[in-house]
Amino acid sequence: MHELFATVIRWGSPNGITKQDSNVYRLWDITYYIAIPLGAIVIGLIIWCAVRYRERPGYERIPRQFQYHIPLEILYTAVPLALVIFLFVYVYQAEDRVDNVAPNPALVVRVDAFQWGWRFTYPNGYEVLGSVATEPNINSTDLPVLTLPAGETVQINLFSDDVNHSFYVPAFLFKRDAIQGINNSFDVNILPSAAGRRYIGECTQFCGVYHPFMRFWLQVMPKDKFGTWLAHHHGSQIVTAKG
Amino acid sequence: MTLVQERPQRFEQPERRLTEFVPGPKYKGLLAYLTSTDHKQIGMNYMVTSFIMFLIAGVMAVLMRVQLAVPNNNFVSLDTFAQLFTMHGTIMLFLFLGPFAFGTANYLVPLHIGAPDMAFPRFNAFSYWLFLGGCIVLMSSFLTSSGAADWGWFAYAPLTETIHSPGPGFDLWIVGVALAAFSSMFTGINLIATVFCLRAPGMTMFRMPVFVWNQLITAFLVLLAFPVLTSALVLLWCDRHMGTHFYDPTHGGQPILWQNLFWFFGHPEVYILALPFFGMVTEVIAVFSRKPVFGYKGLVFATLSIGALSMGVWAHHMYTTGAVLLPFFAIMTLLISVPTGVKFFNWIGTMFRGSVRLETPMLFAIGFLVNFLVGGFTGVMLAEPPLDFQLHDTYFVVAHFHYVLFGGSVFAMFAGIYYWFPKFTGKKLDDILGKVSFVLMFIGFNLTFFPQHDLGLRGMQRRIAVYPANAGWSFLNMLSSIGAFILAFSIIPFLINVWVTLRNGKKVGPNPWDGMTLEWATSSPPPEHNFEFLPPIRSERPVWDLNHPEHPTLPHGRHAKELQRAHALAGVGVPDGFGGGGNGFGDGGGGNGFGNGGASEGNGFGDGGAGGAGGAPPGGSGQGGAGRGGA
Repeated sequence: MHELFATVIRWGSPNGITKQDSNVYRLWDITYYIAIPLGAIVIGLIIWCAVRYRERPGYERIPRQFQYHIPLEILYTAVPLALVIFLFVYVYQAEDRVDNVAPNPALVVRVDAFQWGWRFTYPNGYEVLGSVATEPNINSTDLPVLTLPAGETVQINLFSDDVNHSFYVPAFLFKRDAIQGINNSFDVNILPSAAGRRYIGECTQFCGVYHPFMRFWLQVMPKDKFGTWLAHHHGSQIVTAKG
Repeated sequence: MTLVQERPQRFEQPERRLTEFVPGPKYKGLLAYLTSTDHKQIGMNYMVTSFIMFLIAGVMAVLMRVQLAVPNNNFVSLDTFAQLFTMHGTIMLFLFLGPFAFGTANYLVPLHIGAPDMAFPRFNAFSYWLFLGGCIVLMSSFLTSSGAADWGWFAYAPLTETIHSPGPGFDLWIVGVALAAFSSMFTGINLIATVFCLRAPGMTMFRMPVFVWNQLITAFLVLLAFPVLTSALVLLWCDRHMGTHFYDPTHGGQPILWQNLFWFFGHPEVYILALPFFGMVTEVIAVFSRKPVFGYKGLVFATLSIGALSMGVWAHHMYTTGAVLLPFFAIMTLLISVPTGVKFFNWIGTMFRGSVRLETPMLFAIGFLVNFLVGGFTGVMLAEPPLDFQLHDTYFVVAHFHYVLFGGSVFAMFAGIYYWFPKFTGKKLDDILGKVSFVLMFIGFNLTFFPQHDLGLRGMQRRIAVYPANAGWSFLNMLSSIGAFILAFSIIPFLINVWVTLRNGKKVGPNPWDGMTLEWATSSPPPEHNFEFLPPIRSERPVWDLNHPEHPTLPHGRHAKELQRAHALAGVGVPDGFGGGGNGFGDGGGGNGFGNGGASEGNGFGDGGAGGAGGAPPGGSGQGGAGRGGA
């Protein structure tokens, strides 16, 4: 029942592929559990009042002119307040876990965003650079590829060369802005079940006219294969892709 | 102690028309537009000008939806698309919703509080001309070689530095927005002065209509928020033209500073664009339910706390920057939902057991309630940082704020237009055409913006002119574009309605809706300096008290008990079920405190919640009316 409900209310949201996502989903569920009944009650009351107490033409009447009901007013202030505080406890917990940056990640990748493209730099100096073509095609699949291992904590350090950008992988259910003057780091721990798959990544902060084309691939690799892959792509080698 | 005195005839016209003695020339048409300092003329100028800006920005929205209807479309160029969404947002927020709200404030606040005009009439006219200047300057940027600004309505630095955005179109954006901002500030000052200094005798703060309260709180928010915006714009101008580096990171500036300054203005701005419209629906719901606003004081305190909290939530627009304290801004933002929820229950309580007239203004008000509820709930979702990390800058956010500002404010605006049109012109808009317009708008709006929630969840980011065919976004985008056409089309019945009514409409007299507040006590449209006479102001709905003396607001709690005691002392029969704090009045509708036979006993406008509400037992008559001393 819970699972079915969760699938229905998740709409088109992708299935999260990181360990951190379970926190996001739990928060979604709690939010929905509060919002859907509450919304149904309020909309029901609005419609019911409008229909039940509608004035039929020709039957004009003046209703009782009551204005205050203090206990009721206290109730409808206190209940939402309690709900909000309850919700905040979960928000705080989830936020703490999603934002947590481990002190000893298995891999640190530097991501630089620029007008208009991405540069992914691995610890051994290997660099993937992808920029938007002069006459870009939105359906192009020749995008820069960010390869990450599954089942390990990966720290991503995010920088911008120029204007603000935002690193967004919908399947991570997470994004973070790249802004000059701010050093942003976050952790992802991709579930082993996602290994071998490719996901799309986007820039979500408007960064100029080619903003829609600033896309990239996220390639997830099994943990054991990633080591060898990285060993074969070492040195300051630059792979250029056109978006 | 029954006071016997002649009640003045309703709407008796005095022999001397006071408003005939307003000095100065009386122009009509263009000359009035150009020269008048009358708050009604200026209010009308605001409303008409900003409505035209609404139509212009609406056309831009339709162009954008055409571009996005199918993937990888070529209808407009990338740069044109960026100009369109920038100017759509800028116009809707700075030149339409805010100024329209100020237009209604100009027109209605003096009428609501029984004042002859705004506190500073010429200053008021000056505000309008600044606003019009802002409109012209902003629109003229389309004529420059570089086109209009294309940096998004919140103009994030460092995209705004000259190196990234060269050209005069951008500078015109800065100047235009600054002019509109100064206009807003001046109007805010004027409103506060008017409300504090020009209330009619008897119009205490807690007898002001909710609309006036909301406009007052809005005016304070304007004074707190807009100076920050104009300062930030000045810094931006210096960066672009005087070689400073406030926001330029290559020379040690801080781009994040702009975001903090902008949203410190920007979040109160959201409430500046919402609160006046909340006020409008409150009036509409009360009048069309034939009841006082339920929990009036609670509603005022809720609005005050929304205003206060809105100053401390700006960084919820910046959760993903990684540069703000998330828990603080999360709890502050979540807390706003509490007073907002209180408002909902006030509105529902006003309709509850009322006599709900489902005419066009009320339909728009109900549409507002439903849409704004959705916008409120998605707002709570976006207030939770982990969910915002997923949703920020996606179409989910676009859907959210359109549910708040279109589904909420614009629906409320139409409720207000249909409601006050008889006051503005003396003629009532056609109800059938109005309902057609409402149905089309409600369907079109929801079809346009509801799918956008799902698009956001699917990862479609904002502000993209093209999207790939295989992203799974095509169907929803097509749906949204169809909705946008229906939505645009729904304006046409309204425009026809206005045109036909102005030409052929019948005069409907000063108070066609059985209104409650002071604007309905004067003619339609009101004469210069507004009032020939003022009814006694003994509650927040003096015109209702005048027209329905037998149905005053029922006392409650302490007042009810006091009244009960007074009745016992005086040996007057206490009506059935009159005791028992709060809401224990039986069916008082049948009995009334003013003795049908006896006419005109000590008027029922006693202090402290209409103390004179005697209320004879059902069926009996004539003996009530034991008004409290001094009534």
